[in-house]
Amino acid sequence: MKLFKSAFIVLGLSVMTSCGLAKEGLVLMTDESYQARVFATNKIGIGSPDGLVWHDGKLYFADEGSDKIEVWSRTEGLKQLADAQLGVLSPEDLVIDAEGNIFFTDDDAGGLWEVDSKGTPRLLAGKDKGLISTEGIALAPDGSLLVGDGEQHKVFRVTRDGTVSEFLGKEAGITKPESMVFDEHANLYIADNEDNILYFLDTDHKLHKLIERRASFSPETIYYWQGSLYITDSKDGKLFVYNAKEELKTIAAFGGQLKNVQGITVDELGKIYLTVQTDLKHKAGTVIEISKEGSAVASNQADQK
Amino acid sequence: MSALIILFVFVTSFANRLLEWNDQLLLRANSLTGRSWVFDSLVGFFQGNDLAKAGVVGCCFLAAWYGGRTTEATRKTRKILLVTLIATICVIFTTKIVSHTIFLPRPAIQAQKIYHLAGDQLVQMNRLPVRTPLDTASQKVHSDLVSGDVQTNDLGSFPSDHAGFFIAISLGIFLASRRLGWLALGWTVLVILGGKLITGQHTPLDLLAGAAIAVIEVMFLQFISRLTLTPLLDTLSGLTLRYSALSSALIFALIFEMTSTLVHVRGFIGLLADVKRHVLLGMN
Repeated sequence: MKLFKSAFIVLGLSVMTSCGLAKEGLVLMTDESYQARVFATNKIGIGSPDGLVWHDGKLYFADEGSDKIEVWSRTEGLKQLADAQLGVLSPEDLVIDAEGNIFFTDDDAGGLWEVDSKGTPRLLAGKDKGLISTEGIALAPDGSLLVGDGEQHKVFRVTRDGTVSEFLGKEAGITKPESMVFDEHANLYIADNEDNILYFLDTDHKLHKLIERRASFSPETIYYWQGSLYITDSKDGKLFVYNAKEELKTIAAFGGQLKNVQGITVDELGKIYLTVQTDLKHKAGTVIEISKEGSAVASNQADQK
Repeated sequence: MSALIILFVFVTSFANRLLEWNDQLLLRANSLTGRSWVFDSLVGFFQGNDLAKAGVVGCCFLAAWYGGRTTEATRKTRKILLVTLIATICVIFTTKIVSHTIFLPRPAIQAQKIYHLAGDQLVQMNRLPVRTPLDTASQKVHSDLVSGDVQTNDLGSFPSDHAGFFIAISLGIFLASRRLGWLALGWTVLVILGGKLITGQHTPLDLLAGAAIAVIEVMFLQFISRLTLTPLLDTLSGLTLRYSALSSALIFALIFEMTSTLVHVRGFIGLLADVKRHVLLGMN
């Protein structure tokens, strides 16, 4: 029993001295040319956002924790665009077209939703049209929208008048099309965070597996910017960049409170913004900015608003 | 109230001192590396080669399993070793859960640029000046890390699952046979865990915590099994003697898997996941 007691004391001391780190959270910069900082916290009014998009100097959030679509700007702060009163349950991902119309998915309520440039929200195509649990969304070059469905393991095409057709069926083998994005050549990238595969659909409609069966890789959200694909991984707490030249490279690894990295977007200066769901149940979230070392960062921090 | 404050201050200062000692001990052990390719390769060999690393502990386990001088003695040691196997699974489970909860990268990674969340700000941490061993495998890991390829397993080094796993087995062997137990414990501490410290894969605190989990769980399960599981263990140990050939085959498979730190079991679980995907879900 003496041995038992001694071991218990040693373990207790060890946990006491280290458990604080789990609560605090860390960011490890594997690419040292980047720096990290907290861009925004719940203090600006956000809950626990998932998808986010930088558009015309504003950040748009699919706030999964607060069941809202929100927009933040330095001058106007946070504004709500759509909420649970409309039927939104768990907004997942969003895109914005050139006219400023916002389209978003909802994995609980299903469907494809729109907030037009005048700020009017509506359900563009719902569960009745077969969109059961919508995840990833991409704006196609022809103006239509591609929507991934995690329950049906399919990708649908939705036109602006709400017509739904199958774009990639179950036979394509994509279990959960969590995130999708087009590059400038109209090739489509699809992130499947259940099978941990990054797909590439070329313009001939041929599907390729770009990255699969790679240890510590589960693509959550993808964002294409200037020839590179930026990828978050919520399971492993990582931010990657992928391009044909360097292939897959880890920029940063996240841990503790900051492990659950979700959405990603890049502004016109190349600054990367990530949403971190620190506690979805309690509507706690953080936006982290990752930028190149030496770039101006202090002037536009959201929390200073 | 003042007593509580004094206790809090004492605990905090003790914890800080402990962390200082932890870093100092690590850096002293780690200072042995990065000087001689031969030494680093030797340490690396015993870290990377399953037979060299775990073979000795596995042999001790088998020797203890078959080493009883009488049937009753064999039955007694087998009961201890059977409980040890169950305890080892519990220890792996516990260390994995804790290391996934506490984000504490390996010391070699703490040599990199890390930000730490303090309130609402990310503050850059001091870097640990950990040396990289000169052997080929360590150099590759370091070059992968510098080029951004960091394994998730390397981000949760507290507690050490190697310390938990091997101390649990060695302690079980020690309880079954003192001589073999000393050999297994000595090999675990000096070769397996010492190597982890020298190469900067774990801090002394990581190793201590893993060992503490192992000691607690092995002792607790041995204690509980004597109180409540004696009839079951009597039956099981009796069966291993009655069906000697079959139990030998099973124990060989178990030891083989243990010495390779369950790599084949993990592969088998991966296969089951693929079968589910291809056969049950009908996907490509």
